[in-house]
Amino acid sequence: MKKLYLHPLPVRIWHWINAVSFVVLIVTGLQIRYREFLGLMKFRDAVDVHNFFGFLIIFNFFLWLVYYIVTGKIKIYIPPLSIKKFVLGCIRQARYYGYGIFLGEENPHHSSPDNKFNPMQQIAYLSIMVVLIPLQLWTGLLLWDIKGFASWIDMFGGIKIVDTVHVFLFLFFTSFLFVHVYLATLGHTATEHIKAMFTGYEEIEEHVH
Amino acid sequence: MFEKKLEQTAEKGTLGFVLLGPIFGMLYIFLLPLIGIMTLLLAIPEYAHAKKAPVIENADVCMGCHAMKGVDKVFRNKERVSVFVDAKDFQNTVHGFLSCDSCHTKISLETHPGTANVFESKNAFVLDASQACRMCHSEEQLRAKPHHAAIANRSNAPPCTDCHGSHTVKRISDWKPALAGNQYCLTCHSQNMSKTHRNGEKLSLHIDPSSTLSASVHNGHACNDCHAEFSKAAHPMKTFGSSREHSIVLSGACKRCHAEKYTTLKDSIHSKGRFQWGEAVVSAGSINMKAPVCTDCHGFHTVGPRAMYETLSGMPCKGCHEAIFTKYSQSVHGMAQARGEHKAPLCSSCHFAHEVKATAMTERIKTACLGCHQTAENAHKKWLPNAELHLSAVSCPSCHSPRSGKGIYLKLYDQNTGKPFTEEQIVKLLGTDYQGLSERMNAHGEGIDSEGLWNIVRQLNEKGAGARLTFLGKMELNEGSEAHMLSVKKNAVRECESCHNANSAFFKTVTVAIVKADGGMVRYRANPEVLGSMISLASLRQFYVLGSTRLKILDWIGILMVFGGLSVPLAHITARVLTSPIREAKRLNKMRKGDRR
Repeated sequence: MKKLYLHPLPVRIWHWINAVSFVVLIVTGLQIRYREFLGLMKFRDAVDVHNFFGFLIIFNFFLWLVYYIVTGKIKIYIPPLSIKKFVLGCIRQARYYGYGIFLGEENPHHSSPDNKFNPMQQIAYLSIMVVLIPLQLWTGLLLWDIKGFASWIDMFGGIKIVDTVHVFLFLFFTSFLFVHVYLATLGHTATEHIKAMFTGYEEIEEHVH
Repeated sequence: MFEKKLEQTAEKGTLGFVLLGPIFGMLYIFLLPLIGIMTLLLAIPEYAHAKKAPVIENADVCMGCHAMKGVDKVFRNKERVSVFVDAKDFQNTVHGFLSCDSCHTKISLETHPGTANVFESKNAFVLDASQACRMCHSEEQLRAKPHHAAIANRSNAPPCTDCHGSHTVKRISDWKPALAGNQYCLTCHSQNMSKTHRNGEKLSLHIDPSSTLSASVHNGHACNDCHAEFSKAAHPMKTFGSSREHSIVLSGACKRCHAEKYTTLKDSIHSKGRFQWGEAVVSAGSINMKAPVCTDCHGFHTVGPRAMYETLSGMPCKGCHEAIFTKYSQSVHGMAQARGEHKAPLCSSCHFAHEVKATAMTERIKTACLGCHQTAENAHKKWLPNAELHLSAVSCPSCHSPRSGKGIYLKLYDQNTGKPFTEEQIVKLLGTDYQGLSERMNAHGEGIDSEGLWNIVRQLNEKGAGARLTFLGKMELNEGSEAHMLSVKKNAVRECESCHNANSAFFKTVTVAIVKADGGMVRYRANPEVLGSMISLASLRQFYVLGSTRLKILDWIGILMVFGGLSVPLAHITARVLTSPIREAKRLNKMRKGDRR
């Protein structure tokens, strides 16, 4: 077994701030939206906590953006530019999760600091980090001060539309979270990837070819 | 023959002369002065008239008593009147040539003075005495002036003496035109007189200059500054259907000086589009006769300073809006007024006096609230998130009148102009009429649904020539009158959950409020489902309340997504468990191969 330094400290800090924020935002979001079903806290407190973590996650997003652009590591999010390579890579990865994994086959993708994500992860995380998260943060910001951002909201088509986008993405992220956590358990051991996210080091089996 | 006859005659004549001469002589001496006196007596009236010599001087019999001051006549009802007649004054009157009994025809020295024919009252006496005027003044003469005819020929006409006096009657043309300004009018109008409207209501024409005009801010004005059609030369006779009609027409006079206020009032909800007051044509039924005019608040001859208009009694607003006034009296403002805190608002403090307009879905009342409660906006910002938004989307009484019933009002706005789209514009663009719009608004009898709303917005936006229409929502009271039940601050609604909760009762009543060009409002019931309908994403795109106006479909999508997200790992784990024997076999196989090696 060899140890591979896969997650540098800034990435780990970003990830865990993001993780905590996501959970808190989801819970407070549910509390705000479904007051009649949930009584975890007062509406007012839920709004305040939601706003705090909302700003935290905005700050965190820029931490991610600056880190990945400055270090040039952003390229790990970019899927293969060749469509054929990308499609084949996706099929290979999907085949693994849908078939190979059950037969005890090896994950066709081997993470390294320069090639961290498989093509499916790349396209998913790229869309999330570049489109969905910014959209969620932006709509959240607009909803935070509806009067102040009235003209932006108007450009979006109205407060009801902004809110619907925000809620739709919130529901999407909630469902994605289950998949994300589950996939994190599909290492050689269930906790391997999770541990790595704390320590930065992933244990890699040395292959004998 | 001739001499004989002469002789005979002479004989007889001498005797006759001797006998009859003294008799005739005596008769002549005594009769002549008698005849002279009689002739003189018969000639006196002509003589008096020709020379203007006062006959009264000869009415010594009458003046023997009536020249005395301090002698009163007592009528049967114990009223007293002085019997004194100033002979000198009378000589200067237009009737100075008449004798007492020319008018007092029924006076007989056999019964007068005495108590035999005493009248019941002063009034009865005056009425009777006035009958004498008609002996000389013909019907034609009385009818010559229309206002005179109108007064004099009525069954309850005041006696002549009320206006003309009794022993002081002067030729009107000799003195009246010389009277200055209002005195001219008051010669008659200071008398107790009235007129009757067509509906039988009585209008007093009596003006008491000491108690009315002098106390008024208009005390420097001439009567015809307001009553412009009347002058020394003209006194048109006017008839009105009712006192109300009279007030409406006469209030038109105020605009001569107060044109600005008049215009403001004409644009107000009390007048705009339904009132044609001050103009000559006023027909009951075609206009709102109850809507207030100047005189309702300001009075007419007693126009007072501004502070007098509105009192704690709530008049004049209470006249029509009594239910509201009762609620107001029980409010924090009404009770403060009752305690004598005169800074507390009355009706006009919030609704203004002349520019009264529809208040629902406007900023007018909020502006009025903030006019006094100047720190309120900042105070809200200290504890209420998005305070500015709350203050614009929730009417003040929604929270500060805690016992009121609340609901959502949807109002069609043009986002380009920021102004409400009026019923008139809607009807025109939709190519329908008011009835047609009303039917569309309530097609199924349960209020308009989301599809109906969307169809209206879509059609209007298609035809609206650049207008960008959408429904804006606001929390308002279902009953405007309940806005007057304002309570003390500590009772105000503060819990976010009161509204931000899908079970909140405040979202169960939805009203589509269509503004009319005159500032009024037509309300249509809407089905509360419009707030949470997917279709409303288009028509109510600018109205959203956290927790309370959730799109129902989004909730279901959410449930599906979350279960979908959960089912991926669950299905995968299940598959992994089921396929674990395969992997186990493969692992053992591999181990065996390794062992062999």
